[in-house]
Amino acid sequence: MFKLDIENSTQKRKLEYLILALIILLLYKFLYPTIDDTIFSIINDLFIYITIAVGFYYAAEFTSTKLSNPISLVLNVGILTAILFFLTSLSSVLFDSFGNIDEVSGLGYTIISVIVSLIFISFTTYILSAIRELFFLRQKRPTEKYFNIMLAAIAVASISATLAYIFKELQFVEKTFYVVSIVLIVLNSFRVSWIAFLTKRQKLFLLFLSSIMSVLFSLNAILLSETNIIEQVLFNFSTGVDVFIRLVMLYGNIYFGIVFITTLFHLPTAGAFDQKSEEVSSLIDLSKLMTQVLDFKELGDSITLATNNVCNSDSSWLVTEEDSEHELVSVSNIGYVEADGITREILNEIELPINKLITLNKKAVKVKIKDDTRTFMFHSLVVVPLKVHKKNNGYLFAVKRQKYYFDVDEKKALGAFADYAAVALENAKLIKESIYKERLESELDAARDIQSRILPDETPQCDELDVEALFVPAFEVGGDYYDFFELDDDKLGFVIADVSGKGISASYIMAEVKGIFESLSRVIESPKELLIKANDILKHSLGKKDFVTALYGVINIKSGKVVFARAGHMPLVVCSGKDIKSLKPRGIGLGLDSSEIFSTHIDNMEFQLNNNDILILYTDGVTESQNSNDEDFGEERFYETIVNNCNEELSLLTNKIFRKVILFSQDKEQHDDITLVLFKWKNNNKMIGEV
Amino acid sequence: MADFKVSSREQGQVRIIDVRGYLDAHTAPELENEFNKLIDNEQFKVVVNFNDLNYISSAGLGVFMAYVETMREHNGDIKFSNLKDDVYNIFDLLGFPVLYEFYDKEEDAIVKYNQ
Repeated sequence: MFKLDIENSTQKRKLEYLILALIILLLYKFLYPTIDDTIFSIINDLFIYITIAVGFYYAAEFTSTKLSNPISLVLNVGILTAILFFLTSLSSVLFDSFGNIDEVSGLGYTIISVIVSLIFISFTTYILSAIRELFFLRQKRPTEKYFNIMLAAIAVASISATLAYIFKELQFVEKTFYVVSIVLIVLNSFRVSWIAFLTKRQKLFLLFLSSIMSVLFSLNAILLSETNIIEQVLFNFSTGVDVFIRLVMLYGNIYFGIVFITTLFHLPTAGAFDQKSEEVSSLIDLSKLMTQVLDFKELGDSITLATNNVCNSDSSWLVTEEDSEHELVSVSNIGYVEADGITREILNEIELPINKLITLNKKAVKVKIKDDTRTFMFHSLVVVPLKVHKKNNGYLFAVKRQKYYFDVDEKKALGAFADYAAVALENAKLIKESIYKERLESELDAARDIQSRILPDETPQCDELDVEALFVPAFEVGGDYYDFFELDDDKLGFVIADVSGKGISASYIMAEVKGIFESLSRVIESPKELLIKANDILKHSLGKKDFVTALYGVINIKSGKVVFARAGHMPLVVCSGKDIKSLKPRGIGLGLDSSEIFSTHIDNMEFQLNNNDILILYTDGVTESQNSNDEDFGEERFYETIVNNCNEELSLLTNKIFRKVILFSQDKEQHDDITLVLFKWKNNNKMIGEV
Repeated sequence: MADFKVSSREQGQVRIIDVRGYLDAHTAPELENEFNKLIDNEQFKVVVNFNDLNYISSAGLGVFMAYVETMREHNGDIKFSNLKDDVYNIFDLLGFPVLYEFYDKEEDAIVKYNQ
């Protein structure tokens, strides 16, 4: 935006300068309509040259915007020349030339003279500016000074014409610079390299256009050097300007004459040049695709399609390589099955990996398609590796079926194209991976969210029982679940479960498990019966590979009696003082078996808690946490930590266990949820009991 | 991450699958592939030799659960042999020994098939 503002403001300023110069010139012209004095004549010319210079400077604003389309610039010049020719020839037919210039005067003449002269001056200036743009178009070396020298010569020739008119003895100077200008004009007319970059159609059009324009320019130049009314008006306006316009017309004549001849010579190769520029634009298209197309398949299709344009092949196809596995991604002008078969044959035959383009000429490939063996004849077949950072990502195949081989240029183009394609494919792959990763991450976020809402917000509070729970989710949500159910004033139900699998699917199963336990705990008292019922329900909804381990029990907070059953879950640990034991009644995981086996292989276990006894429920995330040597934290360390800290506050004990686990496995990523639920029973009836 | 390898060999009518290393959610698909191949070839009598297996996760256990029904429907089975103690403990805790046959040696499992 800022840059645009600057450009706009400089353009405005140029216009202001031009208007200022014009006003001064006009004022002067109307004040002194006839030139009959040396000083006045010189000042007159000075104002005119300043106006031309500023106009030339301003015209570049328009001509330079048309650089991308030189033909339209040429057309502009052609129209202006035609108008000038029309004006000159029409006026010379309609009016006779003045007998004596000095007799002409009056306001009417002055107005007409100024209008006609300004039209000629402005058109000529624009033409010169346009030719200047064409001159610099597609020039690789700095050539500005040659053009500027020519401009200077033209200027000097014009000025000296004015002076020579006043001082007759200076006429040889005028003649000399006139000739020098023409020589420089001829030399500068050979800057026509832009023609080569036109398409064949544009060249044909240019051929037609330049022939007419060259003729028009030459007619203008001739008309303006003869005596006719326009020439006289211009001459009267300023002697120098007359010369200036004539020189520019001559320049136009010579320049477009050379354009015509050059275009003529370029025509036979125009087709080949079009082909080359097609290759280049295919490459450019592809590099655009690289940033736009994210879809791997779509990109593959664009690549194979462009391949045929780039190297004139009949068919092409693209194969990716990953861990030595090849996969056909896209085909162009060949059947999928055929291309797949040919690829396999060729890749078996050549020695992989290949580092550069290889060519197989007069190649017959036998391919077995279903029960049919078909033979494909290729006149020429090339395989190009798609390499990025020295890693091969696949191969691009191109074939010519009949008559022609791939020439050196086509192979080069294909090689360059393959490099682009390899980068494009790599980009698409990386983007695909990152999208997948992002989706995975958002899925995991959802799973964590579900899990955190399923788990209880707080642990039950009562005088007889301390309850602590600790849950640390793994990055990939593990599916751990624990819960408490207040069954009546005395009884508290508790469950800990671990769903097999991870992520969002595990968290959905978790939600189902929570529903089952929450409803069953209110109607079935026996933990064993409850788990049998839970197995019946879950078996129908779980996938073949899924299962849930669970431990459900009921604790009587008044009496300290505990009943529980286990369905494949980690044992229940009871710690009384220095005595620790793990209780593991029979029971298989939920969802492992639907038959009678589950119900006949599960037992309730009952035991009595003593004052300050601790109950520990846990998931395998605790004991299977690993250190960098792949050793498990294990039950031994777990029990030891519990026993050593059993007299601590329950929250502190929980914390200590957790810190032990974390310290042990600090060098390794936690790959499963860690869940710990601890109860400490305080015998409030102890005094009564002792009495 | 320690890697996982699976291979299988013929032992009369019985197919032995050797598993090595770590069997978890990321490596389980390799084992699934092996089972798929056996089913394609109509080989339903399988012994899985755990001699070199160091770890099995719930996803690894799920593979056996997914295929055992098919094997049994075709008069075959999946039997386990040569388990290390800690790997066996994982199976045991879950109650697998009730549902599957475990053997100390691969040969014992084969003998069982040939009875």
